[in-house]
Amino acid sequence: MAEQQSTPDPVAAFRELVTQWEKGLNEFASKAMNSDEFARVMNKATTTTTTMQQQLGELIGRYLSSLNLPTRTEMVNIGERLQAIETSLHRMTAQLDKLGASTSGGAPAGPPRTKRPPSAEQGGSG
Amino acid sequence: MNAASATATKEGAGADPNLGARIQALVERTIQRNIKGLEYIATPAPVMGTTPKDLIYSRGTLNLYHYRPLADEIYRVPLLLVMATTNKGYIFDLAPGQSLVEYLLKQGYDVYVIDWNPPRADEKNLTLETYVLDFIPECVRRVQEDSGEEDVTVVGYCMGGVLSVMYAALHNDGPIKNLACFTTPIDYRHMTMFQRWSDRRYFEVDRLVDTLGNIPPELIFTSFEMLRPATRIAGQVQLWENMWNDDFVKSFRMFDRWSTDTLPLAGEYFRQTTKELMWENSLYHGTLALNGRRVDMGNIKVPLFHAVAQHDHIVPYDAAKPLVASVGSEDKKEIVLKGGHVSVVAGPNAVKRLWPALDQWLGERSV
Repeated sequence: MAEQQSTPDPVAAFRELVTQWEKGLNEFASKAMNSDEFARVMNKATTTTTTMQQQLGELIGRYLSSLNLPTRTEMVNIGERLQAIETSLHRMTAQLDKLGASTSGGAPAGPPRTKRPPSAEQGGSG
Repeated sequence: MNAASATATKEGAGADPNLGARIQALVERTIQRNIKGLEYIATPAPVMGTTPKDLIYSRGTLNLYHYRPLADEIYRVPLLLVMATTNKGYIFDLAPGQSLVEYLLKQGYDVYVIDWNPPRADEKNLTLETYVLDFIPECVRRVQEDSGEEDVTVVGYCMGGVLSVMYAALHNDGPIKNLACFTTPIDYRHMTMFQRWSDRRYFEVDRLVDTLGNIPPELIFTSFEMLRPATRIAGQVQLWENMWNDDFVKSFRMFDRWSTDTLPLAGEYFRQTTKELMWENSLYHGTLALNGRRVDMGNIKVPLFHAVAQHDHIVPYDAAKPLVASVGSEDKKEIVLKGGHVSVVAGPNAVKRLWPALDQWLGERSV
């Protein structure tokens, strides 16, 4: 009987295997990454990558310039000017909203703000 | 030959009467897996964040949404949810039945959410001061104006919680009625892996920010992934195994999409959080100053609720624990819930655990 009940379930075994693998690898990686050496190498790699990225960006900038296309800085400047326009628009919209609210004079629309928590309602009825 | 195999079958059946049914289920699931696997590849991820809402304010990286009420009668005090700056806010509104926002609306709250767009190149100079002394106060003012109520409850998640704590500490005479935080790190010494990776001896944050401007999302995503490097692969295996299960696949796709939808961070903000919070631990020590004003958590006197996750690998419990002890509030509560950094806020665990607890705590303080 005991043998009958212990028929292996391959799906459950596979699931358990994956769980154990995940746990084990995460623990191992955490230990490995929680070291001075790892931090040093990782940051060195990050710095190298970003430096390369910067140099590539400069190269592309020179190429774009030779094609008489706008540089990133010029696009950013346009973006800043657009943002300033957006900010002005928001300010004007806010002023208009205020004006609208003051002329209509009504409270904001929506359901009444009279809800009580269930505990208060129970206390009140009891 | 036939007799032998018949005997073996008979013996096998005797060994496990359910074996036939199990094999049948296994075959069916394998077929379903293949059919649905093809569907998975061919169909887009489920649409999220569908609860009706209006954008009431937007400025660069900042969006303020107001969700349309779903109850006939609502609590007096509106809620302002502040999303973490690293991810999109639809974690609060995954899908009908799995949406914190929808739940709160149905319980009778008036809900506003601060969500973030990727900061633009020209927003690389945004700082902690911008978020704490400009964005949040401006949104609070807009919520007051829109709702017609003076009081506002602020609810922050992760880094959104950190910004909310800083805001509350610097506006103790302000309109904040209650402060609720989810998995909010305070003592950065206990963010052990992030501490190690941002070790000031090796981590050239100035060079990184000066070179890149804004910090790209890939860098943020990779740092989260590296905390548990095997989990993504194990997740894919688990997905394949459960491909026959529509609910599992839908949930997996929603969380997977959200977790990979990481936002870039404004360069100066990243530099400041690295130096002030990671290196100096200045929020915890009470030495952080924004625009010359010291951020003293002891100045927070409003009711405080802090939900932390038992198995949070991003914000370990020890990093979040000091919040309740540091604030000056008399009415304060911390709850430790089963789950991880994300599952504590969204998903089946959150529906059963965090949401009802939050509703119970907020309801009594929202009249």
